[in-house]
Amino acid sequence: MADNPNSIEIKPGDFAPLDKQAGPDNEKIAAPSLTFGQDVWRRLKGNKTAFTSFIVLILLFLMAFGGQALYHHDPNAQSPKYANLPPKIPGVNIHGLNGHIKQSGTDVDAYKQAGAKSSVHYILGTDYLGRDLLARIMYGTRVSLEIALIATFIDLTIGVGFGILSGWKGGRVDLFMQRIIEILSSVPSLVVMVLMATAFQKTGMASIIAALALINWTTMARLTRAQTLQLKNQDFILAARTLGESAPKIAWKHLLPNLSSVIIIQTMFTIPNAIFFEAFLSYIGIGISSPQASLGTLISDGQKNFQFLPYQMWYPAIVLIILMLAFNLLGDGMRDAFDPKSKR
Amino acid sequence: MNLKTAAKVTVVAGASLLFLAACGSNKSGSTGSTKQVATIAQKSELPTMDISKSTDVTSSTALNNTNEGLYRIGKDSAITPGIAKATKITNGGKTYTFTLRKNAKWSNGDKVTAHDFVYGWQRTVNPKTASQYAYLYSGIKNADAIVNGKKAVSTLGIKAEGNYKLVVTLDHPISYFKKLMGFVNFFPQNEKTVKKYGSKYGTTSTAMVYNGPYKMSGWTGTNLTWKLTKNKDYWDAKNVKMQTINFQVVKDNSTGLNLFNSNKLDDAILSGTQVKSYKTNKNFVLRKVASTFYVEYNRKASNSTVAKAFKNAKIREAMSLAINRKQFVNDVLADGSTVSKGYVSSDLAKSPINGKDFADDAYVKNSVTYDMTKAKKLYKEGLKEIGAKSLNIKLLSDDTDGAKKTTEYIQGQWQKLGNLKVTNQNVPFKTRLQRSQNGNFDTVISAWSADFTDPISFLSLFTSDNSYNNGRYNSSTFDNYIKAAEGKDANDTKARWTDMVNAEKTLMKDTGVAPIYQQTEAHLVRTNLKGIIYNTAGVQYNYKYMYVK
Amino acid sequence: MRKYLLKRIFYLFLTLFIVATVTFFLMKLMPGTPLQNEAKLTASEKASILAQYGLDKPVWLQYFIYIGGIFKGSLGLSFQFSDQAVSYLIGSRMGPSMQLGGQALLVGVVLGIILGAIGAIRKDTWADRLATILSILGIAVPSFVLAILLQYYLGLKVQLFPVAGWSGFTYTILPTLALAASPLAETARFIRTDMVDVLSSDYIELAKAKGLSKFGIVYHHALRNSLIPMVTLIGPLAAALMTGSMVVENIFSVPGIGEQFVKSILVNDYPTIMGVTIFYSALLCLLLLLTDIVYGIIDPRIRLSGNGD
Repeated sequence: MADNPNSIEIKPGDFAPLDKQAGPDNEKIAAPSLTFGQDVWRRLKGNKTAFTSFIVLILLFLMAFGGQALYHHDPNAQSPKYANLPPKIPGVNIHGLNGHIKQSGTDVDAYKQAGAKSSVHYILGTDYLGRDLLARIMYGTRVSLEIALIATFIDLTIGVGFGILSGWKGGRVDLFMQRIIEILSSVPSLVVMVLMATAFQKTGMASIIAALALINWTTMARLTRAQTLQLKNQDFILAARTLGESAPKIAWKHLLPNLSSVIIIQTMFTIPNAIFFEAFLSYIGIGISSPQASLGTLISDGQKNFQFLPYQMWYPAIVLIILMLAFNLLGDGMRDAFDPKSKR
Repeated sequence: MNLKTAAKVTVVAGASLLFLAACGSNKSGSTGSTKQVATIAQKSELPTMDISKSTDVTSSTALNNTNEGLYRIGKDSAITPGIAKATKITNGGKTYTFTLRKNAKWSNGDKVTAHDFVYGWQRTVNPKTASQYAYLYSGIKNADAIVNGKKAVSTLGIKAEGNYKLVVTLDHPISYFKKLMGFVNFFPQNEKTVKKYGSKYGTTSTAMVYNGPYKMSGWTGTNLTWKLTKNKDYWDAKNVKMQTINFQVVKDNSTGLNLFNSNKLDDAILSGTQVKSYKTNKNFVLRKVASTFYVEYNRKASNSTVAKAFKNAKIREAMSLAINRKQFVNDVLADGSTVSKGYVSSDLAKSPINGKDFADDAYVKNSVTYDMTKAKKLYKEGLKEIGAKSLNIKLLSDDTDGAKKTTEYIQGQWQKLGNLKVTNQNVPFKTRLQRSQNGNFDTVISAWSADFTDPISFLSLFTSDNSYNNGRYNSSTFDNYIKAAEGKDANDTKARWTDMVNAEKTLMKDTGVAPIYQQTEAHLVRTNLKGIIYNTAGVQYNYKYMYVK
Repeated sequence: MRKYLLKRIFYLFLTLFIVATVTFFLMKLMPGTPLQNEAKLTASEKASILAQYGLDKPVWLQYFIYIGGIFKGSLGLSFQFSDQAVSYLIGSRMGPSMQLGGQALLVGVVLGIILGAIGAIRKDTWADRLATILSILGIAVPSFVLAILLQYYLGLKVQLFPVAGWSGFTYTILPTLALAASPLAETARFIRTDMVDVLSSDYIELAKAKGLSKFGIVYHHALRNSLIPMVTLIGPLAAALMTGSMVVENIFSVPGIGEQFVKSILVNDYPTIMGVTIFYSALLCLLLLLTDIVYGIIDPRIRLSGNGD
């Protein structure tokens, strides 16, 4: 076709504003506008494993901190008459839950043997002092969580503070601070904890928390430092600096929000780590002292009778394992959720 | 690492895993039908084989079966022949003359002579040796002065007259002296061997010499297993039937039980609930230990109200009455331990007058019984007498399992008295000892184990000036009885017995301490393992006559 | 490279020096002496016993003697075993721990790589989920629980392996398995994450386009690239093994260092606690140094330099 450009005639009616409703708009943001937090939450909900873990954790927290409101049994009330009774749930006749136990090969009703009235029953059985095991597990979970949470909080404070300072100051300060971390992390963490726990003599919560806090913060510090180094040369920080913002304020207002994902993910791994180490210390005999209990001491007590009263170890161990699983899986999920590169 | 090596590693590892599985299937049974071999569990490592330095059960068991002194302690703490063939006591019980047998030999070929005893004893009291049990020599002439570095070692009251005659001189008569001679710290020592190994003497099974029924091997000084094999050179070897006794340190009680059940152990130690479940088992054996656990009240506690309270007899008695020992022992500890009849343990010594056990002879009614009503009443009265409304005390103890159970239970019982708040302090063993000795406690759960099978080993603790009297119990009546037993009545066994019975009764009536339980070890011992001699104190295990049926 | 090495070795010694100093003074703060029955001993007996352990001197002098001794390989005398040098104690207990640690590391890493690789290749399938759950269980189940279960079920019930003790290879199997769980889990997680990244990169797409077999791709391209950073994991894994060994050796009556360490803590054997602490730190420091060197050699992207990080 031989088009003659001059022959094109432009009429006024040729250009009409497009109907906004009719055609697609490339500029329009179709998805609802989400904040970073909302986005993370959305991704997390999409990840079934992580979300289940989240729910499980909430339930465990509720059980540990609020369980006593529903289950009124004093975890420390002893009734030696009823020591080492197996679990019994009235009306349930499954072996393991009916109060029967194998003793030298024969099946006996442990409750009858202890002379307990038919109204007496312990859902998860009792320990060597006749204390209600369910109540003790709830209590032990609470202590374990408390230790882990407090230790992690201290961890966060020291670790993040150290990391930001080290990354922000740079130069000699950074070098020196890095050496400290290097030295600390070349001592096996359990050894440090053992030393601390022995040094404080008074075994108990305070010394365990101190020991945990002292050793666990280095990873956090390292991560925050690396992130800070990246952030500090970005434009928005430079802008804040130029505007004369003070360093602490920049750290608080600009760095911290941008570090939050790293911190939260790391926390998800620090908490189970702390729980694990606490259990470990309690197991080798330098942890929480009785009558306080933690999951570690409960497992350690139960282990001694594992051959005859396996429930005494299994139940606290199961709680510990679920707790560890949930934190780890949630941590994994969080890492995916916070990572904008991840496909989901 | 390049990929090829990685692949190799994978293959090797996979193969070794298969190998692992293959290996596991061929089991090796350890117990033959009449092979004279047995394996016995030990609670802790062997710290030393040095005769001068042995202080614990493990090493005294090992030494007593690989070495021998003047006597060997037999069944019911009877004195049976050892290296000494004949004994003469002269000079009002202050001189002992021993005639030694000539056929006793060391495993290095040397003969056992009187000089070995002189050398061994002098070595133990020598401050340079740093023996921790030299105090047992107290009473032998000049021993105390030598230990304190005030006299030369050679002045010790022991002399060799020729190779086979030994003369021992005492400061004052000691009624239990013959029993002491069966104690490992009084065994002879071969000078040649000690000199040869120097500071390494007794630190491994090879750096040691043996003159007893068995010889030791396989102990590196730090490992968890060792072995006793029959000593052919032993003078009474014809009466030793066992070929090999293996020892295995097991720290985890459930491991011990698993080992027993898989036939890898012939004598295992049980704990707690294990006892309850195995009570009816045919292998079940209870071994009483001359060890009493008791509460001490600190009359010099830093808190003046507490100190005042513990000087009050009613409060002390009330707190003792509040403890339901039977329930505690049967339901809480449940490890086979028994309720104390008094401070001195049961099955320790028998009366020379009527043959009764000391604990029964000196029993004071209602001193270890449970009576909460009376306790509450006494406690209330006591509080009124000292003019206090309530008490807030601390209970100190070890951080072991058993100790924790004990403090938890006692805490619960005491708080039932009302207006009494108890805080538990569970600390490591050594810290507990240190704090007890410094008087840094309100109440403490102490344990005492007798060194030898005589009640004085318990009773001498509570004279007003004894350093183990942590609660500062102070009774001149008690002191006088003990003084008489150790002084003027020392040669008169009956009068001495009466003194000791009276001392114990005084202590119990005063509630000077509140005894709780006597430790008992529950064991699983294979029924075909016979002839084990066990005593509650001193050298506890004598395997000389053991055999497999 | 040489400058870097020298610098690292200097820091290694500095670290050990600080560890020794801190441990020494921490231990000095605590009660506990080699005296077994203090009340029965006279003053002169106590003095001579303390002198034997060098505890009669002022603390600062003890400190210098201790630090000086370390250079000569002496770590003092144990309180628990009489006349036994701590260095001998560590030396004689080292073998079993090293053997168990080595075996556990091998089993754990190899199985971990397999599990991790399966997870990555079959991402988001049931195989992946199973591998993930297995590997997370390795982290979630404390080693002492695992040890007890293994001993009871495989040792006593099925009688597949010896229950406890230390006399031959079969005795090492259960403790090795109990110890291997944690390195297995860590490795599997690490490999999976890393390989998922690698498998989605362009050169893998290229390899696929070239028609390489799936196995070839995984074996020649993906795994290889994931194995290199694995080296950096060895240090933390070894540290975790030290932790695990304390209870696992205890439960299986293995005459290793971990078992001894726990005992020393319970009986307040301070010279041994100090000695083992320094030994553990030295071991870990050396491992970290070695892995860094190895990493530098096998990964061409990393150049070891003497200037900071």
